[in-house]
Amino acid sequence: MNESKTPASMIQAAPTLQASPVIQVRQVRRTFTSTKKEEGIKGSFKLLLNPTRQEHEALKGVDFEIEEGAFIGLIGANGAGKTTLLKILSGLIPPTSGEARVLGMNPFKRSLKFRHTISLVMGQKAQLWWDLPAIDAFDLLKAIYNIPEKIYRERLDHLAELLDVKRLLNTQIRRLSLGERMKMELIGALLHWPKVIFLDEPTIGLDVLAAHKLREFLREFNRKEKATIILTSHNMDDIERLCSRVLILKQGELVFDGDPKKLAQSNECRLRIRLVETPSIEELAAHFQVDPKTIEISSHDEEEESESGQKLIHITLQRQQIPSILQATLGRYTLVDMAIEEQSLEKVIQRLYETES
Amino acid sequence: MKLNLKWRWAALKNGFQDATAYRLEFLFEVLGSALVPAAIQWVIWYALFEIGGAKEVAGMNYADLLQYTWISLLFTQIRGGDHDFELQEMIRSGALSTYLLRPCSVVEFVWIRGVAPKLFLAGIGLVGGCVIGWIYGLSPLHILLGMGFALLGNIIHYQLSAALASIAFWWEEGYSLLMVKNMLVSLLSGELLPLTLFPQEWKWVWESTPFYLFVFAPTQIAQGKWGPSEILFHLGVAAGWLLFGWVLIRLTWGFGIKRYQSLGG
Repeated sequence: MNESKTPASMIQAAPTLQASPVIQVRQVRRTFTSTKKEEGIKGSFKLLLNPTRQEHEALKGVDFEIEEGAFIGLIGANGAGKTTLLKILSGLIPPTSGEARVLGMNPFKRSLKFRHTISLVMGQKAQLWWDLPAIDAFDLLKAIYNIPEKIYRERLDHLAELLDVKRLLNTQIRRLSLGERMKMELIGALLHWPKVIFLDEPTIGLDVLAAHKLREFLREFNRKEKATIILTSHNMDDIERLCSRVLILKQGELVFDGDPKKLAQSNECRLRIRLVETPSIEELAAHFQVDPKTIEISSHDEEEESESGQKLIHITLQRQQIPSILQATLGRYTLVDMAIEEQSLEKVIQRLYETES
Repeated sequence: MKLNLKWRWAALKNGFQDATAYRLEFLFEVLGSALVPAAIQWVIWYALFEIGGAKEVAGMNYADLLQYTWISLLFTQIRGGDHDFELQEMIRSGALSTYLLRPCSVVEFVWIRGVAPKLFLAGIGLVGGCVIGWIYGLSPLHILLGMGFALLGNIIHYQLSAALASIAFWWEEGYSLLMVKNMLVSLLSGELLPLTLFPQEWKWVWESTPFYLFVFAPTQIAQGKWGPSEILFHLGVAAGWLLFGWVLIRLTWGFGIKRYQSLGG
């Protein structure tokens, strides 16, 4: 984004900030109740006559604070509670217990001021009108958010140029590609220059170039406008490139809150070995003199499993431990093959999901 | 609080643009929903008077009933009725979320977008009404008053529908309920038959619902069958229903929104 191109009026129009932290979440829990249908026709009759209800705890006492201008990655496996948390923070649903505050306001009250200062983009949900061109939708949003004509034109030109969709503004939304549509959604969500932006999977379905452009745009918007952004994504590229802090949710609990670099510590790696023998984790841990928790024997990776039943053994260790572990391996076992794997953020998180699922 | 006319006007324009995005679809929707009930009525009157040999039914002859059919045609298009399905589906699917985060009332926003094509039709209806009125010797002022009543009916209809649609906050699916409501509206609004054809002892049924204000009342006014006192009385009734609808929406949506789960996404 070319800094000199940002129109001054766009920055002036941004609402004044509250004292930090911008977002406070204290012991937030959220439970959903739903009707359970058993299998088959019998289940259908039971549902008619005597439905059974089930409770699901989507968030289990989550605590954190976010400062002004932060770019936060919110990650977790499917059903971890990411979207539920975003819905609570954007005021769509209340927490069952606990407290959430955004810009000092209770989101669920959805005051006019609150709605003027936040924005939520859900990658899987269209917010613009399918049969109308984006320009008509933006025109309506201009009136809804009471944006002066001059500022609106400047912002629209700026955003459309940055996202390279100027030529598509008069095309019906339904005729746009997924990536083009997503860019329009983002423009619609940013026209009122929100101070807090919640992005739920904004790069879902986008090609590499479109995702890259979107990421660059978000980074610049965050940097220049000091907008606080919370991004959920399954794409670790998004998280690694944009977020200075990640929150990892797992089955409704916050299991990590910090710098993503700390997750993938540079000195740590994974040694992958395949042996002719099939020792147990306990036996390997005793022989290598390491914590059994650092060893994984994969039984589900069928592609890697040999016909003789040899399994993959992964040992997470510090680099300086590699020679001694290899020596110990060769001293007792017959090594079939080995490799040293780098700890990418994606792998770390993938392992984190696997170990507790 | 200052009434923000800007977004309301923009929503009205947007609703009209959306409704007319497909010209032929819009045309068929208007013509189809107007001409089919009219054709049904004409067949019934023809069977009664031309084949059955009847001279008068409930004080009306063949010409009176045909006049009712033509005039009511102007107002059936105005009553509205499918935006309750839209609201219900928005609650069910979670599409409501987008609207809830915008700084405007979602119930009013959906109404304004929905009423936009109806206002356009009301304008056309007024011109058409003056032509029909000229044929039948009716006063343009009465037709204008009738159209005003039809627009009030549109608001009342939407209020009740929006309140009914809020059932989706509790039941998740309220399609059948809205269908039943639509059938009752068709029958009790005077869209299919003049309500004077109902047995006298059933009069209380249609009088105790607001549905007669949608088509029957405007038609009676346009035909010059109601005097100033009757018009004022029914205007009072309409105002009562408007107030009731307003309170009902605040209650149902106020409680319902607390149960909203914002599914999907």
